[in-house]
Amino acid sequence: MDIQIKNDNGKIMVTLDGRLDTSNADKFQEDIAPLMEGDKPDIDIDCTNMEYTSSQGLRIFLMLQKSVMARSGKMVMRNMNPQVKEVFDITGFSNIITII
Amino acid sequence: MKLDMHGEMILDEYRERLPIYEKIRSTVNDRLRQCLNENGLVVAALESRIKTEKSLTGKLELKGYKYRTVEDITDIVGVRIVTFFSDEVDIISALVEKLFDIDWDNSVDKRKKLEIDRFGYMSLHYICRLPEALCDDPSLTRIRFELQMRSALQHVWANMQHDTGYKTDVEIPVEHQRSLNRLAGILELADEQFSRIRKEINDYRRNVQSLVASGNFDEVPLNGDTFRSYCELRPFKRLADKIATINQAELYEDSPMPYYNVLVHMGMKTIGDIERMRLENSDSAYQLALIQLAGTGLDIIAYSVTLQNLCIVTILKQGFGEAGLVRMFAALYGESNYNEQRAHRIYEQAQKINLV
Repeated sequence: MDIQIKNDNGKIMVTLDGRLDTSNADKFQEDIAPLMEGDKPDIDIDCTNMEYTSSQGLRIFLMLQKSVMARSGKMVMRNMNPQVKEVFDITGFSNIITII
Repeated sequence: MKLDMHGEMILDEYRERLPIYEKIRSTVNDRLRQCLNENGLVVAALESRIKTEKSLTGKLELKGYKYRTVEDITDIVGVRIVTFFSDEVDIISALVEKLFDIDWDNSVDKRKKLEIDRFGYMSLHYICRLPEALCDDPSLTRIRFELQMRSALQHVWANMQHDTGYKTDVEIPVEHQRSLNRLAGILELADEQFSRIRKEINDYRRNVQSLVASGNFDEVPLNGDTFRSYCELRPFKRLADKIATINQAELYEDSPMPYYNVLVHMGMKTIGDIERMRLENSDSAYQLALIQLAGTGLDIIAYSVTLQNLCIVTILKQGFGEAGLVRMFAALYGESNYNEQRAHRIYEQAQKINLV
């Protein structure tokens, strides 16, 4: 899983590329550490090139979402392919994370 | 006007004690904030200040003769708590009485001082000292500070009085005084009404909770409060546990509240309607989860997936088809391209388990 993080006038633009599963979840968690800091973060995660997420990925997105909410910020995930979206839907995570 | 020697002496004492005043101010402020948090009280404002030299000079010019030493001036450190509701002033004053030593001879409840036909400044002023238990320096306990407590509307009134110069020595015309007094009466009435309405809402919520807890669901109309009370009974827990066993999954406890709008869109009128949906469709909701989750290895699910699947199977059984699901997703997440794709996918899954 490749991750790019850019700050665009205060909005944090994140781009994900590849598969997120047990083999790279720890590395991914380290990579997103900068997103766990700062007040009122505004995070936009582009999932166009995200191929798959496992439960480990869901847990990390959940942890990030909780952290963002605790800091009175907002987070959206966008452009998921149908396979990734299905994972969020059937686990009920679409009810927790804003997906557009 | 220049201060006389006595005034200058008090001013010197004030300057020497500024570090002590700051220590008292911050201790009082921190202790009050902690106390409010511990008691779950949210206030409109907690503010504190040390009287400026300019302000003290003005006071000494006008009535310096009243004070023997600077310790006779009780409002050099001033703290103010502004509550949202007027009845919270009494709750907070009770806490303040436990926290600090109150100088009752010099404290005043201006709410009780007004005559029955007069309206105006209403605030509770306590003159306090820090008790020894809260001080590392015993000298701090000698110095008194003023703590004002009032509601947000009483605060509005006090600020308006101040800004209009109503209390200054300059006489203002009777018609303006009368207008201000009329306004004070309105604010007092509004304060009372806010407190009354809040009490009625709290009573209503308690009634709803007991009605829901009694299990007479058909008598409980569906609204945000009743749905919340119903959810507190954890009615979908058994279904959630059953779905979780599919992949031995961890259950994440999210709120089912977003489904309130969906249930209203589905035409549910009472909590009894939801209960019937749960009893009649839990097996189908589980079957849908089984076909979706089995073999995926996904070992975390959200609690709300129960209500999600219950709503889906109910809509499909009622014959609303993919269009009904699209409307459900729109009510949950807003209009989106995902909604039609997802509805189509679920419809295909439902066909496999003979739901449609």
